[in-house]
Amino acid sequence: MDALRIGVVVCGLGAGGALALQAARARAYGRRPLYAPAAGSAARGVLYAFGPGMSPTAKESTRTHPWAYALGVAYHLGVFAAFGCLLLLLFDAAPDPAGIPARAFGVLLFAGVLGGLGLLVRRYTTAHLRGLSVPDDAVANLLTTGFVALAAARLRSPAAEPALLATAMLLLCYVPLGKIRHCVFFLVSRRHLGRHFGRRGTFPLRH
Amino acid sequence: MSEIDALEARLAALTDEDLSRGLDLFRAKLGGAEAAYLQTCVRCGLCADACHYHRTDHELASIPAHKLAQVAAVFRAHFTAAGRLAPGLTGARRFDRDMARAWVEAVFGRCSLCGRCSLNCTTGIHISAVLKAARGALTEMGLIPPDLLQVVTTSLETGNNMGISRDDWLETVQWIEEEMQQDVGDPAARIPVDKQGARVLFTVNPREPKFFPLCLQASATVFHAAGEDWTVASEGWDLTNYGLFSASPAHGGAIAANLMASMDRLGCGTLVIGECGHGFAAARWEAAEWLQKRPGFRIVSFLELMEEYFQQGRLHVDPAKITERATLHDPCNTVRHGGIIEPQRAILRRCLADFVEMTPNRAENFCCGGGGGQLSMSRYRQKRLQSGGVKAEQIRRTGARLVVAPCHNCIDQLMELNREYKLGVVIKTVAEVVADALVRTPAQPLEEHHGTIAR
Repeated sequence: MDALRIGVVVCGLGAGGALALQAARARAYGRRPLYAPAAGSAARGVLYAFGPGMSPTAKESTRTHPWAYALGVAYHLGVFAAFGCLLLLLFDAAPDPAGIPARAFGVLLFAGVLGGLGLLVRRYTTAHLRGLSVPDDAVANLLTTGFVALAAARLRSPAAEPALLATAMLLLCYVPLGKIRHCVFFLVSRRHLGRHFGRRGTFPLRH
Repeated sequence: MSEIDALEARLAALTDEDLSRGLDLFRAKLGGAEAAYLQTCVRCGLCADACHYHRTDHELASIPAHKLAQVAAVFRAHFTAAGRLAPGLTGARRFDRDMARAWVEAVFGRCSLCGRCSLNCTTGIHISAVLKAARGALTEMGLIPPDLLQVVTTSLETGNNMGISRDDWLETVQWIEEEMQQDVGDPAARIPVDKQGARVLFTVNPREPKFFPLCLQASATVFHAAGEDWTVASEGWDLTNYGLFSASPAHGGAIAANLMASMDRLGCGTLVIGECGHGFAAARWEAAEWLQKRPGFRIVSFLELMEEYFQQGRLHVDPAKITERATLHDPCNTVRHGGIIEPQRAILRRCLADFVEMTPNRAENFCCGGGGGQLSMSRYRQKRLQSGGVKAEQIRRTGARLVVAPCHNCIDQLMELNREYKLGVVIKTVAEVVADALVRTPAQPLEEHHGTIAR
């Protein structure tokens, strides 16, 4: 395994460790015992939060912004595909560029790049989003979109591999610092939200 | 000194020690859930239209993510390594006087804690829970709008939030009892006071004895028609709890203890919370947490109880008695935060000939703008009325002449919106509608005392 690949593994372990530490620190704030008897089921609330509650029709915010939702889904699919490619590379199992798996990856990665760029454009062309933004938003998007684009390039040419691995290292180093940590906190928050509204009988939502 | 100046003076006088103490207070309000919520926002901005403030003023500061960002910025700066290492990159900001002012503006001035943004957050952040934690810290720093604090203080000092004396309360109950006896044609009809061991203890918003006694009469009429074994309390009868809005467990617990003491004293089996959204959420959901004690009795909304009566065949109504088009307002604390979603609908479908839903409705319904203690914070009155424009438009689109609102704070706001936006609607509680539609009793229709129908 060459130095770049070792670097990716080290950065990956570092990012995973830092995220785990952040999640543990958040958890250490404590969980208060609940005394009010439940009206609904916390478990059903959590299932709803991770299931139907994530569908584009479940929330007004996504129902009324289908393009933003679609860009987000495409972006995330692309990111997952890029990490899939990275894993294969680390195990020296890069897919054959002419094969079906590589083409499937290619489609997802292309969609991911479009999604990432689309969201970036949307952020800086929409007044209220510009107002909400901090530098982290641009850095996180550019690093991630660049990573996805380089994964797509690597599918076509091995020459892109060093750049991909270097970008992956940068990205992994950045993950715990900025908004990309939502890759862990999204799961934690959604679970808490589901439990809260599930206990109260609000989730599953009825329309 | 005016209320506004008093708060500004407190902000201006903040010392480093005050701010440091504020941070400690804020940290103490956070649990694992809030600490996670504060690190989850990706600033997608899709929550913007979920907020009735932003829908009506289109200001950046009214976007839920922006309000959350004010709190998260401080959290990052003081409690995370990334925020300390790279504050500029992540938008972290130290808790100084400007940030304290920004918090006050965000969590008191531009938020009714309605929770609609929480349901619409793409990442699952319970935004209003975070803003409530910030409110709690501000309250304990003394940075609460004085008129909101005054409502809490009045409750703590007098046992009810309008300072109604025991004699006035009992006189009103007696007067309403006599009115009800005439209405139902039954001289034996009673509003029992302090009846030991009654099945049900009914609690009331002080707004009823003070300004709208016919609401209390309607509830009493329903109990009479259902043949309920019920009572009101001579002390500890006020269901409101502005500790929910000051977000102070000390306030909330002390006020909630009044109701719990009434239940203990009278030995009733069920505590019934009259039609009041925040009162229900406070008693049903928060009181147990504030007091750290599971109640030894059932706590239900009057809406649930009335629906039970219908299901048990104890109430009979004629929908032909109310023919005007009617719609239902869903109070945030009853529905989204309270989980009482269908009983009021089932009741109204029985009682009304022409019932139409607002769009959106149920847990997705918009706040009227009067929640979160907004009605008591005079400095934000214009903002409150402006934010209520969303609700006014919702009502207008239904074409309804009657708006049913099972919440007294909502009714106060809706009455103001009725005038402000010239809606020409009548606003009633669910119990008033039921009382109007009852057929077993010869009750006259209640007067349209919450508004005027423009015909």
